[in-house]
Amino acid sequence: MRLNEFLVINTNDFQDDYGQQSSWIEIFNASYGTVDIGGCYLSDDPANLKKYQIPGGDILTKIKPRQHVIFWADNQPFRGTFHVNFDLLGAKEIIFTKGDGKSIIDRIKIDPALKDSTMANISYGRVEDGIGSITGDGEGWAVLDRTSASTNNSMIDKTAKPQRMKEMDPYGWMMAALAMSVVFIALIILYFLFKQISKIYTRPDKEKGDSKEVVATPSAKAVPAAKGGKASEDEVYAAIVAALEMWKESNQLHDEESFVLTIVPTHSAWNDKHELLTKLPLMKK
Amino acid sequence: MDKILENLQTFWSFTGFANFTTDYLIMICFGLIFLYLGIKKDWEPMLLVPIGFGILIGNIPLFQGLNVGVYEEGSVLNILYQGVQRGFYPPLIFLGIGAMTDFSALISNPKLFLIGAAAQFGIFGAYAISLAFGFDPAQAGAIGIIGGADGPTAIFLSSRLAPDMMGAIAVSAYSYMALVPVIQPPIMRLLTTKKERLIRMKTPRQVSHTEKVLFPIIGFLLTAFIVPSGIPLLGMLFFGNLLKESGVTKRLANTASGPLIDIVTILIGVTVGASTQADQFLQTRSIWIFVIGACSFLIATFAGVLFVKIFNLFLKEGNKINPLIGNAGVSAVPDAARVSNNVGREYDPTNYLMMHAMGPNVAGVIGSAVAAGILLGFLG
Repeated sequence: MRLNEFLVINTNDFQDDYGQQSSWIEIFNASYGTVDIGGCYLSDDPANLKKYQIPGGDILTKIKPRQHVIFWADNQPFRGTFHVNFDLLGAKEIIFTKGDGKSIIDRIKIDPALKDSTMANISYGRVEDGIGSITGDGEGWAVLDRTSASTNNSMIDKTAKPQRMKEMDPYGWMMAALAMSVVFIALIILYFLFKQISKIYTRPDKEKGDSKEVVATPSAKAVPAAKGGKASEDEVYAAIVAALEMWKESNQLHDEESFVLTIVPTHSAWNDKHELLTKLPLMKK
Repeated sequence: MDKILENLQTFWSFTGFANFTTDYLIMICFGLIFLYLGIKKDWEPMLLVPIGFGILIGNIPLFQGLNVGVYEEGSVLNILYQGVQRGFYPPLIFLGIGAMTDFSALISNPKLFLIGAAAQFGIFGAYAISLAFGFDPAQAGAIGIIGGADGPTAIFLSSRLAPDMMGAIAVSAYSYMALVPVIQPPIMRLLTTKKERLIRMKTPRQVSHTEKVLFPIIGFLLTAFIVPSGIPLLGMLFFGNLLKESGVTKRLANTASGPLIDIVTILIGVTVGASTQADQFLQTRSIWIFVIGACSFLIATFAGVLFVKIFNLFLKEGNKINPLIGNAGVSAVPDAARVSNNVGREYDPTNYLMMHAMGPNVAGVIGSAVAAGILLGFLG
């Protein structure tokens, strides 16, 4: 949460729910999640950070992501959650503090020049919402061209990205080139990484040693020879293992398969339709 | 008697017959064709049957205000549709896909990653064509992703870039995925010589358990750092794969790859189908989406096969890749890989390309998720 903008002298700017014009402080939720500011404090006095506690349990103190809320600095707190018990004409600083009453979230000094009658209805705020200093030195703050209570301090064009893309790249070639480069770069890096990792795990020395042992056996020699020496080592291993398996399980040794699948029916009460169907009453003759 | 007639008249006005128009009839015919292709022809039945029946559900002419339609806020169908609209079904499907997928083929031959990248040309080719047809960049991005041949990715991206076109995009993506065995083989034959089709690839080496565990961790960290907007898809894909490969979370992996993905597939299929209500779907732009979608599949297949041919120029004899696996880079797991295998076996019945084609196939899934992240980053 950030203090985002304030107006000291309000003569013909925004009105509160009572139709009155008074100083206001805008707070901005700079995060992308809802934040409940109930229980936090607003103050104009560094010696008394707990001057005004924002009431808890009010649904309106739950500030949605990237949304603003206005507090009226009219020194009339009995008017509701959003009316604080001080005004900005007498204040030197605005301090926003966490619910513990000690940890300062954000603070901003009030330039005495802003209290001059020539500055009526001119607000002071962050140039870009939520961006800038939180220590009170005013970095990122400026006198704004227009007051913008509860709205963005700088205009944001929602359709900026696609619009900009259309102007920059009307035929889509730049996007195609750029995006394909990114896809290729991502997958090329993965390629190189896993190529290096595979070198660690393949251990060529051990494999060579193993293959010598296998080639020394007559059966292993026979298989590659039969295929013109083209069979890979893995195929040789597979052939040997398959042959051994079939030799062990003699009933699997078939020169020709019959391709006939025999299903042996087994009787059970669960698959007996006579057991499952509703029986008709027998008629006595 | 008058009261009875009046009630009957009111009842009649509530029925589908009273609100019937030819648009609904056309959409019901679409639904029936999907069901026919799924049940009778066995084309992607897991997708076409739920979508086909969803089209029937969504195209019963309704009396407005009954609060049953998919677009009526708070209706049961609308609540189920939130998973599509808000995009939380696609990452859940990716979780299941990750838990089902064996990346061994890719790990054992990492150069297959590049084929998965090349096939993503389909996405950006379709993006350029869409712009030429007057779609705005966000809509063009959503249409382009059809070329990723990945239904969940298409739904995820279109729900963010062009929610009003999501129904047509999703149906188009799933339809062309089902038609992969029809679309791809002619292009593969056209671009390859007989000699190339007979290339036998090296048997993939065995991949160690450590490599399999490292793959999802490294894969996620790298791709997510490059394209953070793809985290929902990439994160779930690699997480699902880690559940499978870690060996210590079998129950979780089984749930993700079994009941969870089945439930989400049912929900996504039915609700995407139901979202094709005649008044939303039957527009000229839907026809263009289908036409451009077909182009994206053609471009992706072209790019994949051509890339392998060019890549082979730089590979030594014995290490060459059969260009018939180039088509598999479009994802559409595992149908595209099956197409590679079937076409390969037409020319050499003993040349099984399935295992090799699974490499670019799963690389294509990663590639299309990365591409979706890029489009979302630029246009979202």
